[in-house]
Amino acid sequence: MTTAVGRPPKPRTAWKTWAAIAAVAAITILAGWAIDFSLVPTIRNVDYWLRTMAAFMTPNWEYFPRIVQPLWVTFSISFVSATITTAIAIVLAMLASKVTTRVTWVYRLVKGVLAVTRSLPDVVWAMLFVAIVGQGPFAGTLAMIAFGVGIVAKLTAETIDAVDRGPLESVDAAGGSAFQRARVAVVPAILPNFASYALYNFESTVRASVVLGYVAAGGVGQALSNQSKDGNYNNVATIVLATLVLVIAIDTISWLLRRWLSR
Amino acid sequence: MSGAVTASRPTRPTRRWAVLVNVGFIALFVVCAWGVEPNWDRIATAPESIVRYGGLMLGGLFQNPFTEPWSAFWLDALAEMGKSIAMAWIGTLIASALSLPLAFLAASNTAPRWVVIPLRQILNLLRSIPDVLFAIVLFMPLYGLGPLAGALALGIGSIGSLGKLSYEVIEGMPAQPIEAVRSTGARPLQVMRWGVLPQVMPEIVAFWLYRFEINIRAGAILGAIGAGGIGSALKTNFQDRNWDEIGIQLLVVIVLTVAVDSISAAVRHRIIGGGRARELPRAEAAATV
Repeated sequence: MTTAVGRPPKPRTAWKTWAAIAAVAAITILAGWAIDFSLVPTIRNVDYWLRTMAAFMTPNWEYFPRIVQPLWVTFSISFVSATITTAIAIVLAMLASKVTTRVTWVYRLVKGVLAVTRSLPDVVWAMLFVAIVGQGPFAGTLAMIAFGVGIVAKLTAETIDAVDRGPLESVDAAGGSAFQRARVAVVPAILPNFASYALYNFESTVRASVVLGYVAAGGVGQALSNQSKDGNYNNVATIVLATLVLVIAIDTISWLLRRWLSR
Repeated sequence: MSGAVTASRPTRPTRRWAVLVNVGFIALFVVCAWGVEPNWDRIATAPESIVRYGGLMLGGLFQNPFTEPWSAFWLDALAEMGKSIAMAWIGTLIASALSLPLAFLAASNTAPRWVVIPLRQILNLLRSIPDVLFAIVLFMPLYGLGPLAGALALGIGSIGSLGKLSYEVIEGMPAQPIEAVRSTGARPLQVMRWGVLPQVMPEIVAFWLYRFEINIRAGAILGAIGAGGIGSALKTNFQDRNWDEIGIQLLVVIVLTVAVDSISAAVRHRIIGGGRARELPRAEAAATV
């Protein structure tokens, strides 16, 4: 008996794979064309770039005292908005989860509203609030709240969705109200995750508030915008370095806190 | 109950630290709240302004979109938003291509320790730097104001977080399939192709898509600092107070962002859960935190 077992035929690549590759390639070409992708300026502008880099290497420290106040404003915007965001988000998260809100249309509506607030980038919120409450850090703070609530509440609502049902049932069995159920069976279960989302939001708010000054919504971005428009790259370097120190310091503090929370 | 027991209640553990932290937090909040200069008289008139501007924006939306100048407004908004999405796509692609090899070098099961430790520090540092600063420092002097500088800034700015998420996936993969491939006599490259990539790619690609969704918003933000696209268009219109055009552009932003988000989320569900949606919230939470 001859067992003439040849090599099994190689499976053909499914047409779906080819379709996916073709789609990605097509989108990439279209996108590259839309943004005028070209590496020619890399060579053409290299002299100018080297000169700006040289300026960046020599920050103007005499300029530093003038950005202490704007940096403090940037920090204040982040701290105030992150705190208020956290307070609002926990309530909205409860309303956006079917575990805590059993009225279908309410949680669907809240979820939808959160999706819309998230779809507008924070800087667009800032432009809207500048129009409504005037230029300055107050508009920036409100913008950061509007955007941050969408993210923190969404993540928290998803954590609530995944919460263990046992404690919920026991509160129901004991005749607890919706509020008592949330307080006793949900909050303790989600608190570690919620705290970590809140801290994450604080970190990203600090990073995001750098841009607020570009639309007159306060903070260090205003100085950054003016100095880079005027080509004072030594001053830009000072601002960039000082901002980075602030951002990294807050990232580190937040990371330590999160590690402490999850210990 | 028994009268013989005279021991008093144990003393309450000290809460001094909790009180101190709370007081410090509230004090900092008050100082900061004063620092953001709340504008109470404008708050009083805010509802009125919202109704007025909202009305003006709706006025733009309810014009016949096939007549001048409304048709131009709609086409313009779509083209600018398209540019922002293109910026996000190219940026994400660059970041994906660069972060994948870096992730293998930063995972302790695929790279030696002396590479892993410094590379992780670099990825952490990259992750903390805002995209805006990459754009201003590195790319705008080289490529001028425009979407190309924005796309490159998003590309470099996304490497930190994509690299971190990817090396975590790589470290989490089980070693047995790799051993199995190696036992057939496969060369290192073949081990990579048949033992490692099939295990990690679905989750990593899902993170790429998630980053693309984030970058659409980030692209609009870079627009406000001069990178073109819908952010720049909105900034100009807000300066000139063209509320009817702003209304159209905001609607385009909301609808297209939600649409791209849901397409991308559907693809992610399909890649990770094979059509089932169970795994997703966890992956998403991991992607943000």
